[in-house]
Amino acid sequence: MNQRNIYLVYQKEIQGAIRDRRTLISMIIIPLVFYPLLFLGIGYFSVMGQRNIEKLPSLINIFGGEKAPQLVEILQKDENIIIKQSDPKQSEKQYSKNDLLEEDIHLTIFIPEIFEEEYSGKGKITQLSIVLQFDSTEQRSQLAKKRVSALIDYYRQEIVQDRLEQWNLDKNFIQPIKEEWVDIAPEDKKIGSMLGMILPYLIIILVFIGAMHSAIDITAGEKERGTLATLLVSQLSRLEIVLGKYFTVVTISAISLLLGLIGLGIAFLTPAYLLGEVSAIEVHFSFSLFFFFFLILLPLVGLASAILILIGIFARNSREASTYVTPVYMMAIFLGMISLSQGIELPKPLFFVPVLNNSFVFKQLLMGTIDWLHISGTLISNIAIALLALFVATKVFHKENVLFRS
Amino acid sequence: MRRLCLVIKVSHLKKVFCDKKRGKIKAVNDVDFHCFGGQIFGLLGPNGAGKTTTLRILATIMKPTEGEVLVNGYDVVKEAHQVRQSIGFLSGETGLYDRFTPRETILFFGRINGLSEHIIKARMKEIFQILDMNSFQDIRVDKLSTGMKQKLSIARAIIHNPPVLIFDEPTVGLDLITARVVVNYIREFKSQGKCIILSTHQMVEAEKLCDEIAIIHKGRILAQGTLTELQQQFPEKDLEEIFFHLVKDKIGEEV
Repeated sequence: MNQRNIYLVYQKEIQGAIRDRRTLISMIIIPLVFYPLLFLGIGYFSVMGQRNIEKLPSLINIFGGEKAPQLVEILQKDENIIIKQSDPKQSEKQYSKNDLLEEDIHLTIFIPEIFEEEYSGKGKITQLSIVLQFDSTEQRSQLAKKRVSALIDYYRQEIVQDRLEQWNLDKNFIQPIKEEWVDIAPEDKKIGSMLGMILPYLIIILVFIGAMHSAIDITAGEKERGTLATLLVSQLSRLEIVLGKYFTVVTISAISLLLGLIGLGIAFLTPAYLLGEVSAIEVHFSFSLFFFFFLILLPLVGLASAILILIGIFARNSREASTYVTPVYMMAIFLGMISLSQGIELPKPLFFVPVLNNSFVFKQLLMGTIDWLHISGTLISNIAIALLALFVATKVFHKENVLFRS
Repeated sequence: MRRLCLVIKVSHLKKVFCDKKRGKIKAVNDVDFHCFGGQIFGLLGPNGAGKTTTLRILATIMKPTEGEVLVNGYDVVKEAHQVRQSIGFLSGETGLYDRFTPRETILFFGRINGLSEHIIKARMKEIFQILDMNSFQDIRVDKLSTGMKQKLSIARAIIHNPPVLIFDEPTVGLDLITARVVVNYIREFKSQGKCIILSTHQMVEAEKLCDEIAIIHKGRILAQGTLTELQQQFPEKDLEEIFFHLVKDKIGEEV
């Protein structure tokens, strides 16, 4: 193995990649422009959607409202609530599900029992039974639930207050214990936990996108264009060719990762309202943290590049390679999703599963934890699998039925 | 008279492919031949005769199933690297990089063949002059005509000045003028003492160019010799007639 030859192949591939507009798109435009815009867009639209809905009034129906005039009065006073119908005759009919959907009503209140007005009397203490219908899949119905529930709560407190006064009791009579919860998590850890859910996932996808095009182009694409045999009859060894190509993909993927991190950094630094709740608390990306992210993800870049090179060498042409890459890509997304759903802890054996471990170390880092054991475990497993993939790629490169099948 | 030295020696070469549908295919079946320096050796045969497979084995990009192949004294299996140093290989599958210019292409292939920068520069100047490539040396390959590309492919194959040239159908797809240019260069290489082995299915080309011809069909060499020798062996005087005579016999045998 001659390092100069690896470098010559590397230099040639990089030069070729730079002259390929598609590489530039996947390496620069996607991570630096498209990705942050997408991220901002998601935040913007979810916040805007939420806001628009909150401006709209809730339409409700009340049946049997005459039995609780005070409650109806409270509801009527709220400007966000419009009572469409309050038909005393229908109270007996009981509720049917269609009431909600057909009449564009977000919530229906049934007051089926006689509510005794003498609730304040010293003798009998009664309870008002109310049935409320809503549709949990409709955002406006959920909002109506939130609003009405708050008003009922207010009404309930008034009644309790009155009763306590009537009975001459202190407020503490019904509240013997008061709890006060204090969140001692440091601010950056809180942010880290929130970002940690989604960010690793986004970055991991980016690593694969960055490597995918160039890996396929310089392996299967080269077979397709018929330039591979030219390389094979030169004095380069198969290993030198594989490594030269591998380092090219690593470089391109690393650049796209770096730009992706910068892009997302820019997205996070934009005014908070654009991102909604994610960055409601200001995020402070320090340069060292940023650099650490990059270092932690480099082994993943190495791993993804090796696997993609292997697939590209094995495939007959670019189209076949794209087909083979799809399950690998989906696997990465799947592992990313697991990391999204898991908390911030990962059982030890899982620390050797690539993608999953990268994403967890990333999460830990976001929360300000540096666990060298986890970092080294991640590093070792990524490097080991990458080396294995490169070894297999070199072996595959020796097989003439793989090189000359068409 | 120049003393001829043995450069390529092929003995009992066999290549078997395993195909899922067709089973075992003997692409090359017990082929023997040898060529000398300063000689053009032609493999003549129809498509699928085994020409390309034989040349691929000579170029070390395929391994023989059986037999021994020596190129410039080196074994193609055990000393593949030395063989690759000794050969310039040109075929339909040795494409060029579209995104590079001829100058960059030659620089790259010169470097990976271990040449120093000043030797590459000198060789490039010389080759570009001979092949008349100076006018398009800085134009990207994807903008070049087929003829220009073929010239560049030849330049690429000979940059390291190898003693052996392996050309698989070097004039296929070229217009008459470019084909003639290519043929002239092959003659020129011969005069430099190189050993040239080429495959073709064009009788005229073989007749005009080759010092020795092997007629190959279905993986076997049916006849071999100089044109004069072949003419003596068979009643026909024309290579095309000799070829059809042989192939017809073969078909007759199979029936």
